[in-house]
Amino acid sequence: MKRLRLDQWTGQLLLARPGAASVSASAPRAVLRSTTPLSRCAAVRCQSTAAAASPSIPAQGTPEDEYIDGTDHARFPPLENLPPRATSMPSPPPSRALESAKLAALHARLALPEKLPLQTLARALVDASADPSPDFNNSTLAFVGQSLIHYHVGEYLMCRYPRLPMDILYAAMKGYAGHTTLHHVARSWGVEHAAAPGGEVDPGLLQFSMHKPGDAITGFGYQRAELKYLRKYNWRHSISSRIVFDDDFGEIVDPEAQRETLGRRTDTQYGDAFTRSLAERAYANCTRAVVGALYTHAGREPAKAFVRAHILSRHLDLSQLFAFKKPAKELSLLCAREDFEPPVARLLSETGRLSRTPVFVVGIFSGKDKLGEAAGPSLEHARAKAAMNALKSWYLYSPGEHVRVPSDMLAEEAKPWEPVHIDVGEIIGR
Amino acid sequence: MAPNPSRTVISATSQALRRCACPAQPAAPRRLMQATRPLSSSSTARSPEASESATGQQQERPRWSYTPERMKGPGFSINPVKNPSRTIWHNNEDPAKLDAMYNRLLGSKGPDMLPDEIKWLAVTHKSFDQGRRGFNTRLAYFGRLILSLETTRHIMISPAPARDPPSPDEFGREPFQHPALVNIDKLQTRQPQDIVSKEKLTKLAIEVGLPEVVRWKPKMPENLEASGLTVVLNTSLFAIIGAISLQHGAEVAQKIVREKILRRLGA
Repeated sequence: MKRLRLDQWTGQLLLARPGAASVSASAPRAVLRSTTPLSRCAAVRCQSTAAAASPSIPAQGTPEDEYIDGTDHARFPPLENLPPRATSMPSPPPSRALESAKLAALHARLALPEKLPLQTLARALVDASADPSPDFNNSTLAFVGQSLIHYHVGEYLMCRYPRLPMDILYAAMKGYAGHTTLHHVARSWGVEHAAAPGGEVDPGLLQFSMHKPGDAITGFGYQRAELKYLRKYNWRHSISSRIVFDDDFGEIVDPEAQRETLGRRTDTQYGDAFTRSLAERAYANCTRAVVGALYTHAGREPAKAFVRAHILSRHLDLSQLFAFKKPAKELSLLCAREDFEPPVARLLSETGRLSRTPVFVVGIFSGKDKLGEAAGPSLEHARAKAAMNALKSWYLYSPGEHVRVPSDMLAEEAKPWEPVHIDVGEIIGR
Repeated sequence: MAPNPSRTVISATSQALRRCACPAQPAAPRRLMQATRPLSSSSTARSPEASESATGQQQERPRWSYTPERMKGPGFSINPVKNPSRTIWHNNEDPAKLDAMYNRLLGSKGPDMLPDEIKWLAVTHKSFDQGRRGFNTRLAYFGRLILSLETTRHIMISPAPARDPPSPDEFGREPFQHPALVNIDKLQTRQPQDIVSKEKLTKLAIEVGLPEVVRWKPKMPENLEASGLTVVLNTSLFAIIGAISLQHGAEVAQKIVREKILRRLGA
C-alpha cells in the first residue's frame, strides 16, 4: 500500500478551493464552500464503497466545522474543537497547549516546575523544519540548551578525568551530548512524533518535517579555508586546530553540506538512513530545547540538576574508546616525561606455550612498581595489551565519581574551591 | 602458573629483547615513589635563590623551562629540510614578560591568579617543543565552552537592542508572551559567535601582548598569519579562561570573562 502523503492531500485540497490560500479571516465563509462535492471526494480516502456513492457537504454555518481536514464531518464528527484555519497553520497555536493531555503528561513525567508554562513546552516540541518562524519553533531554545548541555558535560569530564586525551574527550562529549544520545533521551521520556506537522496535530507530539529544510542549530565553529580539499582528498584536520575551527564534537563545520542535506527531499516509501538522521536530529533538538526552556523559566540550578539527572547519569565506558598505535613506545615516552624508571616488561606467568592456545601474563614494571598487566595469546600481544592497560590507567585517572565541578561555586554558600588537577597533556606517540 | 624455571640462552636473549628500547642514561632515573622534580606551583612569587640552593645535584628547574632529557632524540635528524631558516624560532623564556601580559589581560591580580606551571601551560601551543612540555589544548576546549555559555547568557541578560518592528507572522498568529521568553528571542538577532569572533579575539590578544608570549613553532616564521597565528592566539585566550575556571571556580571565571573579555570586545 502506498504510504499516505498528508502534505499532498492538503495541497490538493488547497487547489480544490480557489482563492483559499489568500483568504483572510474576514472573508465571507461562502468563499470556502465553493468546492464541488466530486472534487472533494476525490481527495478523500473513502473508508468504504458506500461512502463514495453519496458524498455530502457538511452543514454550513456551524462554527465547529470551520476547518477542513479531508474527512466528512457529518459522518466523523471532530474529536476536539480546533480554532479556525488550524490546518493551514504550520504548528498548533499556543492556546491549544493548555488542552493537550499528552503535553501535560510529559510536563508531569519530567517533573518540570510550575514556572515552566505548558506553552513553552509545546514550543520546545516544534522543530524548525515544521515551522520556520523563530517565535514559534524551538531553535533558540535548543541553542541555549545546547550551550548548557555542552558546558555541563564538558566540566564534568574535565574534573572527573583530568588526564583524558583530547580525541577521547571529543568522543566522550559526543557520547554524552551527541544527536543520537539526546534522541534516545527524548525517546526514553516518551516523546512521540506526529506523522506530519500541522496546526491540527496534538501539541504534545514532536513535530518535524522530512520534506522541508529547517535551520540547523549552530554553535561555535568556523568554516575552514581548506574545506574543499579536506573533503576531496580526505585531509586530516589537526586536533589542536579543532578547538578554534570545529564544533564541540571536533567535527568539521560545513554550512554548505548542512544546507544541502537539509534541503534534500525524501520520497522513500519506508524511510532510510537519511530520514532516520533527520528524525534523530529533531528529537535531539527537542531535548536541548527542553533544557533551554527550563533554564529560561526556572534558572541555572534546576537546569543543571536536569542535565545531571538525564544526561550525565548515563554510563559511558571510556576505556573502550581508546585505540593505541604503538603502546609500548607511548608508555616509554610517558615514563621519560614523568621521570619514572624506564618500563620493563616481565613475564609473570604462562601456560600452554607449545599448545594451540597459550596464555602469557605479562606485567610492565617501572622499577619495582607494576604499571600494567595483561594476558594474551602471544608474548608480543600480551606486552602490547599490558602497555595499553598501563596507559589507560594513566589517562583514566580520576579523583572519584562524585567530583566537584566549577559551576558548584555559583550556588550560594558554596564551600571554598579546591583547584582541580590540570594535566600537561597526552603523549603524542603516533 | 609458575614461570618457566629453565632459563636457556634463547629465553634470556628474548627477555633482554623484550625490554622497551631505551638508550642508556648517564643520570640515574629517580624511583617512582620519590617525589618528582618539584613544581614551582606552590609559591607564585619566583625566588631565584631557592632554585639555586640545590646542593651538588642537578639544579631544580621548573618543569616548564626544559625538555625532559630522556625524551630527546639522538641530537640530529635525517629529515631533509627544505628551508633551514624556517627551523629558527625563539620563544619567550622570561617570566616577567609573561606576568606583564597577565597583568594587562586580567588586571593587577592577574599574575597571582594561576600557579607558575599553569601560567606557562596556558600559553604553550601543541607545536611547541614537539608537545613534550605539555600544551593547552584541553584547557582551551573547556575555555571555549565557558565563553560560549557566558556570551549566550550575556546576550540574554543585556537589554534588547532597538530593532525594526518584527514582521507580522504570515499566518496572523500571536506568539505566547512571557517575560522570560523575551530573553530567548534576543538570540534571534545576536549570535554569540559574532560577539566573540576569532578576529575580535585575535585583536584583543594583540592588544594585551599575547603574540610575544605564546610558545609555539610556526611553520613559516616569515609569515605568522599563514602559519596560524590566529588559531594559536585564540587557543591561548580560551586556555587562560579554562585554567581560571579550574583553579578558582565558575564564579571567578564568569567575572573575568564578563569584565576582561566581553567588555573589551564592546559587547
